[in-house]
Formats: sequence, structure tokens, C-alpha cells
Amino acid sequence: MAEERRPAFVVVGKNERKVDGVALVTGKPKFAGDLDLPGTLCVKILHSPHAHARIVEIDASEAEGLPGVACVLTHQNTPLTRYTTAGQGYPEPSPYDARMFDTKVRFVGDRVAAVAAETEEIALEALKKIRVRYEELPAILSVDGALAAGAPIIHDEKDSPGIYDAAKNIAADVDIDVGDVAQGFAESDVIVETVCETQYAQHAPIEPHVVLTNLDEDGRLVIRSSTQVPFHVRRIVARVLDVPLHRIRVIKPRIGGGFGVKQEVLLEDLAALVTLRTGRPALVVLSRQEEFIASRTRHPMRIRVKLGARSDGALHALEMEVLSNTGAYGTHALTVLSNVGSKTLPIYNKAKNVHFFGKAVYTNLPVAGAYRGYGATQGYFALETAMDELADGLGMDPLKLRRRNAIRVGESSPIFEKLGEGREGVAQTVKSCGLERAIELGAARIGWEEKRGKRPRQGSRVRGVGMSIHMQGSGIPQIDMAAATVKMNEDGSFNLLIGATDLGTGSDTILAQIAAEILGVPVSKVIVTSSDTDVTPFDTGAYASSTTYVSGKAVERAALAVREQIVQVAAAMLADDGGNLDEARFVLKNERAVAPNGRGVTLAEICQRAMYQTGQFQIAATASFVPDESPPPFMASFAEVEVDTETGRVQVLEYVAAVDCGVAINPKMAEGQVEGSVANGIGFALTEEMLFSSKGRVRNPTLFDYKILGARDVPPIEVILVPSFEPTGPVGAKSVGEIGINGPIPTIANAIHDAVGIRLTKTPFTPERVLDALRARRPG
Amino acid sequence: MGLPSVKEFVRPGTLDEALELLRERGERAWPIGGGIDLVLFAPREVETVVDLGRLPLRYVRENEGRISIGAIATLREVLESPVVRDYLGGVIPEMLHQVASPLLRNLATIGGTLVSANPWSDVITLFLALGADVVLSDGKTRTIPLEKLYPARALRATILTEVRLPSSARESAAAFWKFSRTAFDVALLNCATFVRMVGGRCVEARVVAGGTPQLGARLPRAEACLVGSGLDDSSIERAAEAARESADVREDRRASADYRRELVLVGVKRSLHEARGRLAGGER
Amino acid sequence: MKISLTVNGAQRAFDVHPGDTLLEVLRREGYKGVKKGCGAGDCGACAVLLDGRAVNSCLVLAGKADGSEVLTIEGLSKDGALHPLQEAFLDEGAVQCGYCTPGMIIASLDLLTHHPDPNEEEIREGIAGNLCRCTGYTKELRAIQAAAEKMREARHG
Repeated sequence: MAEERRPAFVVVGKNERKVDGVALVTGKPKFAGDLDLPGTLCVKILHSPHAHARIVEIDASEAEGLPGVACVLTHQNTPLTRYTTAGQGYPEPSPYDARMFDTKVRFVGDRVAAVAAETEEIALEALKKIRVRYEELPAILSVDGALAAGAPIIHDEKDSPGIYDAAKNIAADVDIDVGDVAQGFAESDVIVETVCETQYAQHAPIEPHVVLTNLDEDGRLVIRSSTQVPFHVRRIVARVLDVPLHRIRVIKPRIGGGFGVKQEVLLEDLAALVTLRTGRPALVVLSRQEEFIASRTRHPMRIRVKLGARSDGALHALEMEVLSNTGAYGTHALTVLSNVGSKTLPIYNKAKNVHFFGKAVYTNLPVAGAYRGYGATQGYFALETAMDELADGLGMDPLKLRRRNAIRVGESSPIFEKLGEGREGVAQTVKSCGLERAIELGAARIGWEEKRGKRPRQGSRVRGVGMSIHMQGSGIPQIDMAAATVKMNEDGSFNLLIGATDLGTGSDTILAQIAAEILGVPVSKVIVTSSDTDVTPFDTGAYASSTTYVSGKAVERAALAVREQIVQVAAAMLADDGGNLDEARFVLKNERAVAPNGRGVTLAEICQRAMYQTGQFQIAATASFVPDESPPPFMASFAEVEVDTETGRVQVLEYVAAVDCGVAINPKMAEGQVEGSVANGIGFALTEEMLFSSKGRVRNPTLFDYKILGARDVPPIEVILVPSFEPTGPVGAKSVGEIGINGPIPTIANAIHDAVGIRLTKTPFTPERVLDALRARRPG
Repeated sequence: MGLPSVKEFVRPGTLDEALELLRERGERAWPIGGGIDLVLFAPREVETVVDLGRLPLRYVRENEGRISIGAIATLREVLESPVVRDYLGGVIPEMLHQVASPLLRNLATIGGTLVSANPWSDVITLFLALGADVVLSDGKTRTIPLEKLYPARALRATILTEVRLPSSARESAAAFWKFSRTAFDVALLNCATFVRMVGGRCVEARVVAGGTPQLGARLPRAEACLVGSGLDDSSIERAAEAARESADVREDRRASADYRRELVLVGVKRSLHEARGRLAGGER
Repeated sequence: MKISLTVNGAQRAFDVHPGDTLLEVLRREGYKGVKKGCGAGDCGACAVLLDGRAVNSCLVLAGKADGSEVLTIEGLSKDGALHPLQEAFLDEGAVQCGYCTPGMIIASLDLLTHHPDPNEEEIREGIAGNLCRCTGYTKELRAIQAAAEKMREARHG
């Protein structure tokens, strides 16, 4: 078993407090919006009132003349460079279809102009004084509309590279084949087919997007941003504003949640340009309403899954067709689309014949982007719904069907190689997989055997249980890169400098735990500095479940290199007392380096010697890591629900997520990642949905009417961390940031089916939709 | 930012002072209890905020079974008041536990809630069913049934000072039912029912549905099905059916009219069953 | 207009615009632990104790707080010692991004001050107005339970 390889850890596996925790619970000014810089201008954005229109004329003179207005930005006075707001590796796999300000607006909320003024009141007043004449164009408000013959073309400009087929409103297209799926279905005994649709949903981080810019004493541009991708921000802003990259410093302070919506260069260009034009600090903060209308959303999708199986339950053919709505711009269009298949299909690697294809299309609706789960969430809804239907068709326990077909240690899937992030993937063999055990533990915890199919009824309320299984990845192989620097101080403490971006996940802490483990010190002796492009080495950023695995590995390597230097010095110090010491057999523990003969010196003594006494040098190392694979975390999730057949209300009574993320470096934090993503997923399943008017305007751009779950709504969530050891991971770990969010939609849908026999194929499962489905089925 | 148009914030200590200010400043003055709606809706014409928070109207009292709640009492204070704890089986705290959040209940006043007349108001739906009266003052004091306060006419230079609930007669019961998307949410529909029995026969009934999405309103046809009945299953069923047919339900972004119609049926039925159970349980 | 507040035990006088909210005044005066998440009473990130009760400071006009006592998250730890709620939030892993944490702790403090021994349902209701997008609330519930226990012990000596 994999666990046997697991070494005894001292710091890893402990529930260390967050290294930034005390500052956070005492309300220290740690966030981008907490810094007061004298003379800061307030920046406000004028958003398009139309879903699709050309700007015929724009007159900002009156606004510019308003006392207190420092500058007004429009397409007339800003760079026209095409770029993508997607904060991805370079070159980005998203089309360059956006400009700071364009001559055309493509959704209600699109940028028309921006004002920088002395106060918020003046800025808002000035926005009203900008005269814009629009030529309204027919708007596309659905994916079918986008693909219809003669549909208006949303990106009719000629200078946007990377769009798959602009004339047909197709931002991205994917089509991959394994085996022969037609033949596969022909050879199948049971075939099921299902079509599932997911909604427009918003990340709703409690901290909105915030960017504060200023010029430092040397005239360099400093951008403090609530971003998940500081290095991508630097690169993209440099290009868009044509500023030398070395004149820009990006700092990510603490950020109040991201979930993907801050993997986007959404405001940095605006604040930066204001600062460059005026020489003054500039602050942009999105209002909650702007978060809904003008930031990013999850890609709504329609997904068709067709499964063919032999009568013994062996999956034989698997087809998945995706129609993804990327909204007005193609940010993450291709990669999210790819992930719908690449993060779902390998879990059923026994199917020899697979066809995955789909399109991401433009519409005149808000822009979809990265969102925790990144397409897998949508894909699993369809796949795991179809698996339940297949189990029905086979007359087989859904749990057994999944067990029979799920991937195991030592196995691979052709999908890994065929389908990557917007390009071909990387072949890999699964080296750790606790899925089987996760299914077993989760089933026991929810009471699967006792409860499944029993449909206990109390009055109008009926109960049921459902389950589904999932995988995600750990970073993007051969694309992501992270680097870390470890530097020793003469009291035996270490600076850990990492480009990695802690967006509240606790990555600063678990990366410190990795370093502390290897260096034999408590976490308190590791001083973490992260996400400052002037100070920390490069890291692609916090997305794609990359930080624990990719950044963690970089930290592990840097710490091991420093450990080697420490041991060399220690060996020299102890060798002075006679005898040769085998450096490979030194142990670092309790802030000491201990030789094989049991004698030791303190780390402080070692560093003092290296700094001040003999053979002086700085004990330090920088290491990088580019993964060759992306070991998937696995999850089996279970829910018990109660359906009120009179109101259609679905209540989740209990949710169980059994997760294999390799070694959990900080178990409470790993649980927290799962609990939080499950809670968000339950929101998708039951309440969260952006609604649109017939003109494409968001009807519920508030937390008053876009319902995320509160403490009274979230059911007890039981997270079971299934032990495993990932040999390629840092200290045996895999990533765990996203996987949890994939579970609730199919798990709850399957539980509803168990309770009342209806198949819900459109999220969210609002009481009204559930009641409609119950009524449609009757009499029956 | 807040309310840029506001030029003056005043906190009168007496009712007369407050009324005087409202008269003087006219439409540019806005009286507040907690002030929530003023901040949320930020009407541009408001120049003077008249904070009623210092008026001696912060109380929950009982007098011979009748309950008087001062307009400035917060929802939290009402919720925690021993005076309302057992009133009609505890229906008031039962409802208030479902209103908004503790943070908002600490701020919202009972008077502000009644005057703001948000259509989803749980308080108004229940208080209509309980037959509440409100005391208004424009210098002279008058008491009117809460029902007569709506449709909410602008209360020019008038302050709602108190709400009164009738003494809970023997053999009477009330219940409240709310349906919302999440627990911290406004009602997609709420329902409250009140019944008074004499010798096993219902002699008085009030059935109210709110958030339809209009403000709570009585449903006389449903009430008629109950009066004279023994509150048996079939009369409850008939009342619920009548409620469904007669409630003026509409569509908004939160629910369709058809769905609300179903909710009226379920809500009336469930709250009547609950009320009947409370009668049987021997509660007042 | 001038208002006078006792903020975290210190008497302070502030010059405010009569239309300012308490949230704006507090942040302007440096109490950055008071967060803005929605400005509409929907999220609870701006919660402070106003005369002992937790409220959404984004909905309180500053004039209304004149003469009142305000407690923000900055005033909770005394002489560098964390409050049991702060300790418990750290120990139970109830803090992720930390943006909702100040408001969540303030709401919990109101709850535990008035209900020293709440059950789970009461705790859930107590923080019902404080939205958290990171945690799923599980760890907060445990933290508040743990803090309640510590606070009861401290009270009974």
C-alpha cells in the first residue's frame, strides 16, 4: 500500500495555525483596500447599458471639466492593443479579443469609459456627464442564438487573433477521439443518453476586486491587487500599456477569496493607466453590483453524455458533447471547455471508445471565466447523472457500477495524453488513488446500504441518498511553473520567498510546513513572503489546483538544497572534532543538525559560522519546478436529501465527501478546502443563478437576490481524508483546492432521483423546478 | 458616500419636537427608526434625517393580556422580550427568528418595519393575522387597525408610535409559515393564520398571505371556510383551496405566479394545521 | 457635523458628513478591520458591536451612533492576548481568506454574550447574517462552540 511509503513527519500533517492568522483575526490592514495613500484618486467605470452596440460617438468633455476630475479614459485616449484578460501562462490559450476600451460594447456591463476623481461622489457624477451615442445591434442571448444561421457576429473585428471561428461566434472548438465510439455503442448492451444544463453562476468572493496603484520613489509603477496571478498581471499590464516590464511591481496582499474570478486582469490596467497619466495613486473597487454584471462567471453549459456498457457493467463507449457559453469574450473559453473532458473522462478509463467534442460560443451576456472546478463541475453533472441512469438501465447498484469502471493505481487513460489545457495533454500513470477506499468510507458514513432505495416518507417529505465520484488535477503539466527561495538567518530561522499566491487557501502556511519539515524547525521559524514580483521568484499563480503540488514541490526542492548546505557546514563543524561524517545520514530536527554519531550543532550556530566565521557564504537556494504530470486528487461524495413533494424544496440533510489528496499537509486546511467548495457546490445545486432580462441585463445583481448559502443553509459536511501517498508530490501531497465543488450537483441530483424518481437536468434545482418535475411525472 | 444629499441629522428627544421637525422640513425630511431603508434606497430628495431613536418609544409591555410595542423597539428586543414569549403559543418569536439576520434584527425597529411596508414583510403578515392596531400621532393621537394603514399612504408629518396586539382570548391560536430560497432571505411567500374557537366551533378566523409578491393581505374567502367549522381536515383543505384561488399572486424574479399559488395552498394548510395543533395542545 | 463615539474603549470625536454611514467613518478613521462586502446588509463583513449589539455598520448612519459605544475587531484582543473567539477561529481552521472573519467574530461575540451556551442551531442563526464563501461554516461552528466553552469556564472562574 501507498501509505507504507509515508515517512514519519514532524510538521507535515499537523494542524498548524495559519501563518497570517493572527493578523486576520485581529483585523490588521492586510488587504489591498486597507492601505491609505495620500492623494489617492477614486476610479469608477461607465458600463454599457446595451448588450450589443457600436459606440458612434463619445463626448467626455463635460465630465473632464467637472472640478475634481483628474482624467477620463475612453477608447479615444487609451491603447487599442488586443489582449485577453485571462491570467494564464504565456502565450495564453485564450483569444486576444478584448481591448481596454473598444468601439463596440458586447454585453450589458462592458466597459465604455472610466473616470478618476478626487472622491467617489465626483467620479460618479462625472460618469453621468459622459455623453455616449450608441448604435444598437441585435443581441445574442443564448448559445442557440449564437450558432443560428445569420446570427449577428459578436467579434466582427479583424484584429483579434486566437478566435476559432469569429464569423460563426465560435470562440473555441475541441474534438478528440479514442477508439471508435460508433462501433463501441454498436457493441454495447445498454446505452443511456442524457443532456444536462448548468446556469450562469458567480463566484461572489466577499471581498470584491480591488486594485490600488501608485508610483514609488523611483517612479516605478506599483500595483497592489486582489489577484490570483501577480506575475501574469505584470506581464499583461506591461504589454497592454506598453510599459517596460521592469518598471512594474505587482504585490498581492491578503485577498478576500478568489475562486477563479481573480485569475483575471480585470482592473489593473485602469488603475495603472490613471497613475501613469496623473502621477497619483489610484484605487478601483468594484461594487457588489459590478461584481455581478462586470466581472466573470462560470461558463454555463449544455452537455450531452452518451454511455454504452456491456451487460456486466463494463463501460464500453463514452461520448460527451459540450456547448459552452463564454459570454462576450473568450477568456478561458478553450481551456475550460477542454477541462470538461480532461478532468472527468479519465476517471472511467476502462471505456475503450471515447469521443469528446464541443464548442465554446460567444453571446452578448456577461463574460465567463475561470471558476473553481473549471469545467469539470459542469462535466460531472452530466457524466455522473448518466452513470446513475446507466446503473438503472443495468439494474446495478450505482456504487458498484462506478467501482467496476473507475481508474486505479498503475493505470492510465488515453485522455491524459489526448486532451490537455487548450492543447494536447501529457501521458501519465496514476501513482496514488484512494478512490476505492473513498467510496467504501463514504458509503459507510452516509449509510448507503441501509438508505438507498428505501424512500422513507414523512408527510409530504421523502428522503433519498445519492453519490458520485470525481477527480481533478494537480496543476497543469509542462506548463505551470513555480519557484521558491529559501534563505537562512543566523538565529536559525529561514525566509521563504514564494511567487505562489495565497488567496485564503492557506498556501503560505502549508508551504511553510513543507520547508519547516525538511529544515527541522517549527513553522514559526519560517518567515513567509509571497506574491511580490520584485521580491519573490516566479510562480504562474493560484489556479488549476497547482499550489500544493507545483509550488510545494519547488519549496521542497529549495529546502532540500538548503538542507544540503546546512549539512555541509555542520559536517565541517563536527568534523573539526575528528572523524569523517556521512553527510547523507545527517538529520535536521529540533532546530539542530545531528550527525550519524549523535552529535549535533544548532542551526543558529551553523548559520553564524557560515555568515561570519569560516568559508563565509549565504546559506540559500532557489529552486524551480515544472511538473511532468498532474496527479489527480479523487473524491467520492454522498448526500442524503429530503424532498418536500408539496413545495418542491430539496433539503440536504447530510453531505459526505471522502477525498484522497495524498498526504494532507495541514488536515484542517485540507478539510476546509473541501467544506468550502462543497458549500459553494450545494449553492450551485440549489439556489445560485444569475437571471437575465430580455435585453441581457442581470436581474439579480445583489447578494439579496443571488442567493449564496449562509450558516443556516449549509448542511453538516463530513470530510473524510482518505490516506494515500503521491510519490511525485511534495511530502507525498496532491492538490485539493477545486475537487470538492464538483460533487454536489450530481450527488444531489442522484439523491433526489433516489427519493422521488425524478431526473433533474437543469441547475439549480429550485423548489419551483423540482415541483414542476414532480407534476410532469404524475400521474405515475 | 452614504447619502450625499443629507445636510442635517437630528435626534429629537420628544414626539412633539419630532413632529415639529417633520412639519417644518416637509418632504425633505425623513424619519427613521433603524434607518435601513433610507440607506438602502437613498432617496435623493432627503436633506434632513429625523432619527426617532431617542423618543421614549422603546418598550414591549403587557397590560391585561394586551401587548403594546413601542415603535423604536428593535426586532431583536421584541424577539427576546418575555412579554411576547408565550403570546399565542410563541408565534411572535417563531416568526422573528425567520426574519432577516440577527445583525439586521438588532437594527430594524418594529415601527420602521410597519411603515416601510416591504411587501415580503413577515412581521406585517403575522400582525395582520393577529389583528394588530397601530397608534399614529400627528399631534393628535389615533388608533387604527394595521390593515387600514395599507396601502401605505405617505404618512405626512405623522409618526407611528406603537403597535398593539389584542389580548389572546382563550381557545385561540395562531401560526406563521414562511417560504424563502435560503434562511436569510425575504419570503417568496409567507402565511399567517389566526383562529378563535368557542365550544369547538371557529368563531373568528384571519388568514393572511404576503410576499405574493405584494404586501400581506387577508383572504376573506379562506376565512369564510373556517368560521363556523370545527377546524376539521376538510374545512382546512377547503380554506387552503379557497386561499389558493383567491390570493392575488403574481410573478417576479423570485417565483412565478403559478408557483406562488401552490405555496399559498401549502402555507395556509400548514399554518392552519399548526394552529389547530396549538389549540389541542391547550395553549392560549 | 461632529459625533463622539467610544471606539474600542477610547473616546473619539469625528467630523462626519451627516449622510455618512458608520462603516465609512470607521474605515476612514483607520479601523480597517471593518470590511465592506456589499454595502447593503447582505453579507455582514462590516459588523461591529453598537452598544453591545452586532449590526451591519454599512446601514447605520453615523449620526445614529453619536454617543454610542462601538467595538470593532481591533478592540477585541486585550494587551496582545487574543480573545477566546479569535483563538478558537485560528485553532479550528475557521479562517481562510479572513475577509468575513472580523464580522463573523463580532456576530459570534454578540451571540455568546447573550447566550453563553448556544446549541448548534442557535449558533447557525447567530451568524446567519455573515456570509462566508471559503469555509462552508463547519469550522466556524466548532470554533464558536469551543470559544463558548472557554468563555463559560473563564466566567465561572
